[in-house]
Amino acid sequence: MFDGLAAISAVNLEVAEGETVWLRGWNGSGKTTLLRLIATAISPTFGDGSVLGFDLRTERSAIRARTDLLSHETRLYGDLTAVENLRFACSLYDCDPRLAGPALGLVGLEEVAAVRVARFSQGMRQRLALARCLMRRPALILLDEPYAALDVEARVVVDGLLTAAQAGGQTVVVASHEAPPAQLIDREVTMDGGRVITPAGVVPS
Amino acid sequence: MSMRVAQAIVAKDLRMEVRSRSAVSTVLPFAATMLLAFGFALGPDRLLLAETAPALLWLAALFASVELCHRSYQHEAANDALEGLLLSPADKGAVYLGKAAAAFVQLIVLLVVTTGIVIVLFGLPAGRAPVLLLLTAVLGIAGLSTVGSLLGLLAVRSRTRQAALPVLVLPLVSPVIIAATKATADLTQGSTSGISGWLGLLVAFDAAYLAVGYIVFGHLLED
Repeated sequence: MFDGLAAISAVNLEVAEGETVWLRGWNGSGKTTLLRLIATAISPTFGDGSVLGFDLRTERSAIRARTDLLSHETRLYGDLTAVENLRFACSLYDCDPRLAGPALGLVGLEEVAAVRVARFSQGMRQRLALARCLMRRPALILLDEPYAALDVEARVVVDGLLTAAQAGGQTVVVASHEAPPAQLIDREVTMDGGRVITPAGVVPS
Repeated sequence: MSMRVAQAIVAKDLRMEVRSRSAVSTVLPFAATMLLAFGFALGPDRLLLAETAPALLWLAALFASVELCHRSYQHEAANDALEGLLLSPADKGAVYLGKAAAAFVQLIVLLVVTTGIVIVLFGLPAGRAPVLLLLTAVLGIAGLSTVGSLLGLLAVRSRTRQAALPVLVLPLVSPVIIAATKATADLTQGSTSGISGWLGLLVAFDAAYLAVGYIVFGHLLED
């Protein structure tokens, strides 16, 4: 609930381990709110849920350690270089900082590893955020409008992330208003008016 | 892992400050101008200047701490990096300790520079107990850093933003400013009697603020 307005309600969504689900809907349909709830960025006003077997309300730290939410807000520091941003993330997530270099290579940013992020375009920042996700290898990846503001080259990187996640058994939930790349997803779920709608347009009970 | 997180926050904040030079370019000129204005307003009376110098020094440190902590959290708010801290599994108390330690280092550097200005402009004597004077500086700056680093987070999340920070900070740091000013005044005048009381007060407030900050920071970040 935001100022008395229900952003999402009666949402009942189960995602199997290793599954890639495409959450589709118009702006304001509640996709981003649902992803942020799963990522524990916000708390549900009512209801409950579990993510990766952990309670959404009481085991937030465990969920956060295994989840990565990627959105248009890249959560990068402009005055740090690309590699420094990744090493800092390693300190927070307790991962090996030596993984930063290879991760930059995976998104094609190895040549600008020592450049400050303030000089990066939005597309480069998105790729760097993807590198952070690749480096951490979280069990659950949440992508909010992953193709927005990306050029063709960077879109290939996102596709590569989805392919690698499927191969590695990672669970992925993508929120987008775009049609999904059918070969990269297991299931499409539609949202409208803050509710999950089945493909036939029926509101689940 | 907590120590590693705190160290990473300190290194990040200091590295960003060295590169952006926000404290040097904004906080230091502000403190220098304030001291200069008071110097001219008080006139050439050397005794009066020396007597008022400790209070002005700590006032400059106070305003510098407010501005510095505000800027520190502005960096976190950009690109929603603050949410990155929230969504990490890192101990939020360790994040607070790192922010407070980084602010402490920067404020100590600023205090050294402003002290130099005060010595030149106001003729502040060094006194006969430089170690106690140094201890006063460390404890006073620790108080400003611990409060500023906690309330800077509140201010950046508040709708009133920067305006909220002084309103929140000033009442809470009043005991620190009073104790640090009195201790500095006594020590620079060559008196050490009663100094333990002021230093004890500073230690008590620093410890209380640090403990409250460590416990509360995570809750403020979640809100």
